[in-house]
Amino acid sequence: MIKVKNLKKAFIQGQARTQVLKGVDLQVEEGEFVAIMGPSGSGKSTLLQLLGGLDIPTEGDILINQNNLSEMTEKERTIFRRKYIGFIFQNYQLLPTLNVEENIAFPLHADGSLTMEKHRFILELLDSVGLKELGRKRANLLSGGQQQRVAIARALVNTPSVLLADEPTGNLDRNKAEEILGLISRFNRENNQTIIMVTHDIFAAGFADRIILFKDGVIDQVISRKDDDYAKYVANFMA
Amino acid sequence: MSVKYGILTLLYLQKNHGYDLKLELESLLGTKGKINPGQIYTTLDRLIRDLLVSSVGMDDQERKLYEITTEGKNELENWLLELVPYHSTKDDFHFKWSCARKIGFEQEKKMLDQQKATIMKDVMELTKLKTEFLLRGDENRYLLISGTLLHLEADLNWIHQVENRNRS
Repeated sequence: MIKVKNLKKAFIQGQARTQVLKGVDLQVEEGEFVAIMGPSGSGKSTLLQLLGGLDIPTEGDILINQNNLSEMTEKERTIFRRKYIGFIFQNYQLLPTLNVEENIAFPLHADGSLTMEKHRFILELLDSVGLKELGRKRANLLSGGQQQRVAIARALVNTPSVLLADEPTGNLDRNKAEEILGLISRFNRENNQTIIMVTHDIFAAGFADRIILFKDGVIDQVISRKDDDYAKYVANFMA
Repeated sequence: MSVKYGILTLLYLQKNHGYDLKLELESLLGTKGKINPGQIYTTLDRLIRDLLVSSVGMDDQERKLYEITTEGKNELENWLLELVPYHSTKDDFHFKWSCARKIGFEQEKKMLDQQKATIMKDVMELTKLKTEFLLRGDENRYLLISGTLLHLEADLNWIHQVENRNRS
């Protein structure tokens, strides 16, 4: 479970102070798929950076599975991040000269945990993202959709309990975006991974169970799916 | 589109007679077509019966004048804040919003916020359903839901545009 309490973040440049997050309280249950939406500059990407321990808040706490990120040293945060958190970015952030398998294995090199067993897991991941035949191909020779599939496999290689995605389909067309979102939701369902996805696109947010709307650094609206209501939609469309 | 709420919107602004209500309602509807005068008078009769409108004498050209009652105003305001379901979002919400703008409804932001939320909820429910049909190989239903989702997305984009222009 993720708990965010009174989270604030200000950026200071010279004399100017920009308050990006102005007190955010949020709870995300284990296995939940949450989409965060809002206009540019509303604080949604900053929240994701803080949740991933890539930056530290000015004030407030972030608890992931009862571990308080705000109380960790930078080194502790890095170790925590490698173990529990996977990232997916809009621009994939693959290493272009490495092949697909090497890219997926890259996070394991950082902590020296690449074993034969892990290598077998990488092959399984490749299969599950539909790239079984492309393991030895260089990353920069792949299409955008294929590169994002590699990025998803890389994010999952440490079997993180939390997956953070920043506009994961922002560079893809509708069909490719649907495939990627289908994959992300499948991992969410099958592995009970918690997913927090920032997006400006309602098409992508539709895959979530809950949409959180940000405005001016605070949560403006929260919209949830309800299993009871879902039955009505099924009945409507089956009629 | 509802003639009943169109008439209530126009009477909310001022008392009026049947023929003028017909012309004004056609103008409120834009290109949506002509209104049959008979429809106006039968609707007015029903509104009087339901105590939402009252008849208040004649104007200087001997035309019967109608006025909205307090109950009529409440009825209109409640309707403006009622959510529009996904299968009829565009036309029904556009008409409702036009009525709200016509009377300068002060809760327009609330209307937009809650309609936006209901569209987003519909999108989440229908996306889940769409994915299930895709997994089941039910191509027809998958495509039908995809079509509905594209309409909802357009409706949402339109609400965002209204919000942006209201802000600037």
